[in-house]
Amino acid sequence: MKHKKAQEEIVGFALIMIIVAVILLIFLGFYLSGSQRDTVESYEVESFIQSILQYTTDCEDHLEYIPIQKLIADCVDDETCLDGRRACDALNSTLKNILKESWKIEGDRPLKGYEFTIFAEGEEMLIIKEGNSTNNYKGSDQFLAKKIEVFFTAYY
Amino acid sequence: MKTKRQKSGILTRLSLKSQTKAQLKIQQMAFMLMAITLFFVLAGMFVLVIKFAGLKESATLLEEENAMLLVTKLANSPEFSCGEAFGSNRINCVDFDKVMMLKENIDKYSKFWGVASIEIRKVFPKSQEICTAINYKDCGVIEVFSKDVNSLPPSSNFVSLCRKESEDGKIYDKCELAKLIVGSEDKR
Repeated sequence: MKHKKAQEEIVGFALIMIIVAVILLIFLGFYLSGSQRDTVESYEVESFIQSILQYTTDCEDHLEYIPIQKLIADCVDDETCLDGRRACDALNSTLKNILKESWKIEGDRPLKGYEFTIFAEGEEMLIIKEGNSTNNYKGSDQFLAKKIEVFFTAYY
Repeated sequence: MKTKRQKSGILTRLSLKSQTKAQLKIQQMAFMLMAITLFFVLAGMFVLVIKFAGLKESATLLEEENAMLLVTKLANSPEFSCGEAFGSNRINCVDFDKVMMLKENIDKYSKFWGVASIEIRKVFPKSQEICTAINYKDCGVIEVFSKDVNSLPPSSNFVSLCRKESEDGKIYDKCELAKLIVGSEDKR
């Protein structure tokens, strides 16, 4: 009688061991398959800022068509393009068009919104915001001469 | 008083009983050993099946990761980068002329990067036209190379696509926003 009870206990223990092992394996499987890619990679945001700063705008000074990086500095100094437009207006319209084409948020896209901000000497100089701000975001910044800071955040 | 015969009968029964008990214990032990072995064999097989089922998937994941890493450094590699052709050394700057020349001599480079495809697409201003030597200025897609294999969703990175432009005899640098797209092979 005592012998039978001991046997039952061993069987019970073995069963518990098997169940625990199976549960552990299932968790392990979930953990290993759970490493998915982000919707927006941080290197994409970083490279975006670096690339747009080099973009050649249609604003011309006496020498050449100027890149966005120089246009930002011209906007800080309140200068104008050769065609009479204010540097800040040219910068605003160029950036809006670039952002609209580069980060599409319409429909069921994973990207929910973005925010592009330029600060000059700690003061907000330009802000372009589209879509919604969420808790999932990737952002990057770039520091330029004349204490100019460029920030970009993509919300997904 | 028990006779000698009776005594030997009792002894025989006693020894038989203890023999049966020992046999039962050996049997129990054998069953237990078999059960433990079977359990470990089954658990091992389960682990092996899971591991080998994910082998092809991890190969594909590695390919994808490789493409992602490649896309971050490709723009700054000597085959693509602007170098000092547009003033100071620029980061994430791709030389349009260099890429067009690379495209023409791609046979020498097709196995160099170990990916399924490399493509550059203009983001702004946008154009769907495939680049050739004729429509050089107004095109939007440079297909550097593409292998005829199953590809995974590609990895991309923003780059500045620069070239020399002339207007009224004046030469200036023109940089546009583009995406460098690298596709990896699907090994599944």
